[in-house]
Amino acid sequence: MVVEALSVLRNLPARKKEEQAEPSILLGGSRDLGLDTLKLAQDIYDQFTADPRYKEYVLGCLNCGECTTGCPAARFYDFSPREMLQVAMSNDPLVLLNAMHEKIWACCQCYTCNMRCRFGNDIAGIISVMRELAVKNGLDSAKEVLRPYTRILLKVMTGGTQVSPDMIQPDFFVDWGPDAVSKASDLKTLRKAIPIDVLQVTDSAWEVSMQTSLELFQIYQESGVIDIVRAVDPDLVEMITDIVDEWREEFEEMKEKYGVR
Amino acid sequence: MSSPRILVVGGGPAGLSAACDLAEAGANVVLVEEEGFLGGTPKKLHYSLIAPDLKPVQEVLDPLVRRVEQSGVEVMLNSEVASFKGSGDGFHVEVRRKGGPLESHVFDSVIAATGFAHWDPHKKYEYGYGVYPDVLDFKDFERMLSEDNLRRPSNGETPKRIAWLLCVGSRDKQVGKFYCCRMGCVVSIKQAMEVRQKHPEIDTYVYYMDIRTYGFWEDKVYWRSMEEFNVKFVRGRIGSINRGEDGRLVAMAEDTILQRPTEVPFDMLVLATGMEASRGTVEFAKLAGLELEEHGFIKPLQSDSLPVHTTVEGIFVAGTATGPKAIPDSVSEGSAAAMKALNFARRKAVAERQQTR
Amino acid sequence: MGILSADQIREVVRARAENRSVSDKKVSDVREEMWTLHDRGELIVIPITPENKPVEVETLFGWKKKVPTDKLWHHKSCGQCGNIPGYPASLLWFMNQFKTTYLNEPHQTSCTAWNYHGSGTSNPVALAAVAVRNWYRAYETGTYPLIHCGTSYGDYKEMRKVLVENKEVRDKVREIMHHMGKELVIPEEIVHYSEWVHVKRDEIASMVKYDLKDVVATVHEPCHYYKMVPEDAIYDSSVLGGQRPAPPTALLQKMGVSVADYSTWYDCCGFGFRHILTEREFTRSFATLRKIKPMVEEAHADVAITTDTGCVTTLDKSQWVGKVHGMDFLVPVLAEVQLAALAAGAHPYKIVQVHWHTSPVEKLMEKMGIDYQSYRKDFTEYLNQIKSGGKIEYLYDPHSEIEKYFAVNKGQVIVEEQALKRGE
Repeated sequence: MVVEALSVLRNLPARKKEEQAEPSILLGGSRDLGLDTLKLAQDIYDQFTADPRYKEYVLGCLNCGECTTGCPAARFYDFSPREMLQVAMSNDPLVLLNAMHEKIWACCQCYTCNMRCRFGNDIAGIISVMRELAVKNGLDSAKEVLRPYTRILLKVMTGGTQVSPDMIQPDFFVDWGPDAVSKASDLKTLRKAIPIDVLQVTDSAWEVSMQTSLELFQIYQESGVIDIVRAVDPDLVEMITDIVDEWREEFEEMKEKYGVR
Repeated sequence: MSSPRILVVGGGPAGLSAACDLAEAGANVVLVEEEGFLGGTPKKLHYSLIAPDLKPVQEVLDPLVRRVEQSGVEVMLNSEVASFKGSGDGFHVEVRRKGGPLESHVFDSVIAATGFAHWDPHKKYEYGYGVYPDVLDFKDFERMLSEDNLRRPSNGETPKRIAWLLCVGSRDKQVGKFYCCRMGCVVSIKQAMEVRQKHPEIDTYVYYMDIRTYGFWEDKVYWRSMEEFNVKFVRGRIGSINRGEDGRLVAMAEDTILQRPTEVPFDMLVLATGMEASRGTVEFAKLAGLELEEHGFIKPLQSDSLPVHTTVEGIFVAGTATGPKAIPDSVSEGSAAAMKALNFARRKAVAERQQTR
Repeated sequence: MGILSADQIREVVRARAENRSVSDKKVSDVREEMWTLHDRGELIVIPITPENKPVEVETLFGWKKKVPTDKLWHHKSCGQCGNIPGYPASLLWFMNQFKTTYLNEPHQTSCTAWNYHGSGTSNPVALAAVAVRNWYRAYETGTYPLIHCGTSYGDYKEMRKVLVENKEVRDKVREIMHHMGKELVIPEEIVHYSEWVHVKRDEIASMVKYDLKDVVATVHEPCHYYKMVPEDAIYDSSVLGGQRPAPPTALLQKMGVSVADYSTWYDCCGFGFRHILTEREFTRSFATLRKIKPMVEEAHADVAITTDTGCVTTLDKSQWVGKVHGMDFLVPVLAEVQLAALAAGAHPYKIVQVHWHTSPVEKLMEKMGIDYQSYRKDFTEYLNQIKSGGKIEYLYDPHSEIEKYFAVNKGQVIVEEQALKRGE
């Protein structure tokens, strides 16, 4: 009954109650194909097709495979840009949701597929849209994928640079070899030996002025990015907000100190 | 009543066919050809065998050329239309022979049989045409076959494996060529058959996204290539070609049936280059005020029911000037345009007679 | 639904792609529409003026592009500054040699596109606003933004397109800018540092002190330089038959380096944005097997040269672990401007900062004839000097304390105030 109520899903074969309760391999770990999943799939599908980029990026496909030919991810993952384009064209909410659970995260965003595509599709772009939606809708896959990424998000959302010299810690980057990590011990001196003043820091790629960091945060707030990230990592957003609040206080003090209006 | 005077521009299959039919029907025909010989692009580029019967090109075209020569057509070789003006009493045309003075003529009707050009694969950068000597296009390879000189340009050795890549400069927005060239599939497969016929030790692979061997080409060429010649087909396109370790070419493609990216070394690669309107077609259209259609070819007045009429009254068109076509189709269109041009000229003559009476 | 008719497709494509074939077909160039919006007062184009001493180059379709060479605002790359500091240092060193005027400020954020392409945690409005905020800083100081990172370069071109073509995004970004007392600005051209190096290649090559003819280099062309917005990359018919982008090959050839081809030339480096950080099995496998191995085994490369942050990082850092599988390649990986600086006699450690590279550069320097051991000794002494609180060398005078907080200088005057250190 409930399935029938979702008009767009009317082409799906009706599922028996017991089938719905079965864990689905198709959905990559989702517990069941019950109303919640179907509704989620439909919601995401509606957001996806309503995005103005959808019509602009997805045009058609001759299945020629040139996109996949140059795709780095296709060499090492069960993934191909051609498949992702077919998913985007499938008009099937469950197919879309399924791809968003894992496959979309394999893409390297190198844009080789776009350059090759003789139909003019923006495949890397449509994968980005799917990723945005996975984050925005707080999908488990997005949470899982982004878990080891928290430090980087914190860095980029507060300071505005993605990496910092002190991130190259031996335990994280052991595969980069002893030379890469040995610098950690004498990082401060080595950074001082770079003949560019703003690079002589260790906790940021370069020293970003406080005004600039606060302006960046304002952009994140006003563009809705803070809310998007909250969907996958509320703790992180709280941490960022705390940091920014402290900065704002300090910034006011500095305004007084330097007589800046 | 004097014979109708009719101009045919272009001495390829369509122009030859039009010219000899007109002459045999009693018209005064002038055939203007920019090259120093008749036979058009197939002759100029030294085509080898012609599908579907795998007949040498001279067996197909020479009888037409002979008919033209024997039927009293005035053939002007090494010549081009220098100026063109239509008015009440006919088409005033100046023809320039290479290095010679302008010759003025007046015609009752005109047939444009100005033909096509093979698309230049230099523009599809990922295939390294012009960078890697063993990457060839249709014209290079046809010549190689017709001269029975199948060697790798890089080192003069006989290749062990050759690949064909279909739709180069066709069905591709990247290079602004939206349409199918209609010939790439059959010519590529035909070439692979020719190779296998002469050199059974050479492996041949055709990379395709669709095989479009219309009508009888299906069994006479496509099926036969597998049944008799063991030509192999890979469903997927090559995305880029690079230099391999030993100077061979490495073709990167997706096998879309296996759904995996592949990388295969080849000694030689043939790009099935598409067809576009020839320079002569575009220039003549400009001179005569003919409209072009969206792909850059001459626009027929009605693509379905009036395919050999142009948008200018009294000027007709035949062959690949209106779009990709096979030789038999061009020959048929030449005859069709001849009929229309002759009728037009006769109606005009009747009208003139009635006016002067 | 969502699938357009052939005619609609044709319209879309004609509007944004181009054919490389028929010259009389008119193709839309986003830059033209941008100027129309400028004239209508919807945005402000940051013009390239004669003061920027522009040099004209040709891009993929034979379009013209102006590359400013002076009065520049360095849009730094986070990956370069974080892990390859010799990359920006070499560039600034050349600019000092050429007496180029520039600003290198703390009032810049990264483009944040590394994060976006890795995680999806952003949206077009945020990305565009970040871009405009940075561009505006160049605008208010009377300088022109020069983008160091390939991804920033690609992203900024996408954002330019979004801002020009999407009124909703444009209005929202303008509103955000107004809240910060800024305007919606877009530079006349988005210019990558490698394009500056490319147009300066004759001057750079004339400074080369070592014989480079025995040096074999393989080029890795960064994807976001030429694949993301293909029509804006520089091509030159005299370089690689005009079939591959001209930078950095043109410079290498000018310097006398032998540039070698290899079978995976078109492949990406394996960076993957998220992958380099949290899926490194992929990145290191791809970089080693698909790029480094062919470069070494097919082309016998002495050095791999590229022009982007992520590519240098990936190709350099991923090699060490190859030892596990007996792939002991350790080919040095440098940005073209680093190799050029080495060849032109810049200090390998103080300027080119080769010690940050994990695939050692010493063997290459030896082949070039650089007495790296004495430079290294010099550098070790310098480090000791720094530790004991001694004098630190700078390419330009350091910023004052107040600039840690505020972007105080807003006028043209700032360029002159910066008192650049010249030469030596």
